[in-house]
Amino acid sequence: MKELQDLALYLEQGQAQKVIALTEQLLAASISPQRILNDGLIAGMAAVGEKMRNGDMYLPEVLQSAGAMQASLKILKPHLAREGAQSRGRVLMGTVKGDMHDIGKNLVGIMLQGAGFEIVDLGVNIPPEKFVEAIKTHQPSIVALSAMLTTTMLNMKSTIDSVRLAGLSSYVKIIIGGAPVNQGYADQIGADGYARDAVLAVDKVKQLLGISA
Amino acid sequence: MNTRYEQALNCQQPDRVPFLPAIYEHKAWFVGKTPSDVCRDPKLLTAALLAEYERVKPDALTIGVDIYNVEAEAVGCKVTYYDEGNNSVPSIGHEGAILQGSDDVTSLRLPDPRMDGRMPLFIEAAKAMVKILGKEIPLRGAVSGPFSLAAHLAGPQKLFLLTMMQPGIVKELLGFAAEVIKLYGNAFIEAGCGVVMFDSFASSDLLPPEMYRELVLPPTRGIVDHFHQKGARNIPLIIGGNTTSLLEAYLGTGANNILCDVKADPQEFLKRCSAMKKAFRRNLDSALFLESSPADIKNRAMRSLEESNSYPGYILGTGVLAYGTPLTHIAAVREAIDEYERAPAAGQ
Ligand code: B12
Repeated sequence: MKELQDLALYLEQGQAQKVIALTEQLLAASISPQRILNDGLIAGMAAVGEKMRNGDMYLPEVLQSAGAMQASLKILKPHLAREGAQSRGRVLMGTVKGDMHDIGKNLVGIMLQGAGFEIVDLGVNIPPEKFVEAIKTHQPSIVALSAMLTTTMLNMKSTIDSVRLAGLSSYVKIIIGGAPVNQGYADQIGADGYARDAVLAVDKVKQLLGISA
Repeated sequence: MNTRYEQALNCQQPDRVPFLPAIYEHKAWFVGKTPSDVCRDPKLLTAALLAEYERVKPDALTIGVDIYNVEAEAVGCKVTYYDEGNNSVPSIGHEGAILQGSDDVTSLRLPDPRMDGRMPLFIEAAKAMVKILGKEIPLRGAVSGPFSLAAHLAGPQKLFLLTMMQPGIVKELLGFAAEVIKLYGNAFIEAGCGVVMFDSFASSDLLPPEMYRELVLPPTRGIVDHFHQKGARNIPLIIGGNTTSLLEAYLGTGANNILCDVKADPQEFLKRCSAMKKAFRRNLDSALFLESSPADIKNRAMRSLEESNSYPGYILGTGVLAYGTPLTHIAAVREAIDEYERAPAAGQ
């Protein structure tokens, strides 16, 4: 459908006003909110992710698209709820203790949100106890940990250990990322997954939850 | 003083390649304290700098610990420090920004380096260091670059969005940031040392090079010119990440020592910098210093040195070394440097 393609394109271009207007127009034309989400927003954000990976889009542009996506989601949400649409899963995320870097983590959150997941972002400098507590409160299917320092990446291990000790590890899958970590480190500390960038993070989360597309 | 480091900056062949490991929070480890302790106490900071000099023997020292915070804090941003025994690095989070919910740059007040935040503390340490080591080794006070300071004032995400939506406000904010940096830098220069400017928020990993050229280059050049006028001859400008595509603007700032970080292309830097007779520091990955053996580190350092093509303006450095990085790992780089220079002589 042409309008849905337009929506994806406006989103990619970060044209918030046009995205909002078209979302409303599509809803008024009785297009299902799930379809608007899948073929408009998710498709648009996938294109943003690809461009970001290839270095064709920089942070300011990505943030602008993210803002447009969030504005549209806000309109769609009540309609999705009314339709009984299920989110693809809830992801709890945060940067580990001692680490204040969050630009990368936020991009991962944006791309996951753009792929239809619900995000609970705890922020930065999050100690293991706080992750444990938040898992109990929010009951996510995925916990995503970010670290950008070689010193703080060690706190990913203590976070995973705390989750295990609290008896929660069979309820959630833990995925890690950030510049100093890699698959080897993820295996070593018992994380369920690792991804190098925000686009691969979406693939990894889907894989862990057994979502095919 | 015409030290090895200064010779490299003037592109005169020094006796060996200068070594500039990025030691900021790691300084604290040399005196058995945490970064939060050392960055709030001028005596501890001076002791840590002296210990760094003694144990690492770098070719210049940087007076700074949490290098991106001092100016922002003096203008009013909130820094998160850590309690006793916690060796995390103090930093300013999104909540620390002071322009939250407001775009009113005129509400910001210029700080007084003699009074505001921790500026006086760093200047005091600088003065003490000038007295003790001023004749032996170049001393550089760490100052923020304009984009990084603006990122803390507005909050990084908001600043990046404003670059697209309201570049006028960004220009205004960068203008304010530049004035703050000049004031702080002046105080270092008056204390008898040089300055080194850090602007990694403007990395081409985050900000498109065209935006750097349009928004960040003019105030940066203004700061560099200003410091020149105040008598600081050498101005290093450190921007991390892959800045290969930024090189032209980077050199256009007037800084005479730029950074070729791990992900940037050393051959491009070599080409452009030698054409303009500017020095550059090539970084070894800081992760290497925790994961690898001294022998591996030495090998990696040697490979970098071999890429340098004996360019007189080549400096070997590291990414920011983590708190607690073993001394033997840092010494391995020095060994490589010493052997690299000795090799041709031995063959004569
Ligand atoms: C911006 C920045 C800062 C900002 C952070 C602002 C913010 N709100 O995030 C500020 C100025 C605060 C900062 C402070 C410091 N920083 Co800093 N910083 C950077 C910089 C320039 C860019 C990081 C970034 O945002 N990259 C862009 C994003 C998009 O990439 P990314 O973070 O890698 O994220 C991607 C992937 O890693 C992945 N990913 C990330 N998280 C996750 C999570 C999951 C679950 C998954 C699956 C994937 C994933 O997906 C992301 C998107 O594709 C880097 C250098 C560089 N150019 O990389 C240094 C760098 C990370 N910083 C460094 C250091 C040392 C520091 C300080 C200690 C410096 C100091 N002495 O003050 C302090 C530490 C403060 C603290 N307690 O945390 C070092 C780390 C060295 C090391 N290996 O330990 C670096 C590498 C610089 C260097 N070359 O030495 N920094």
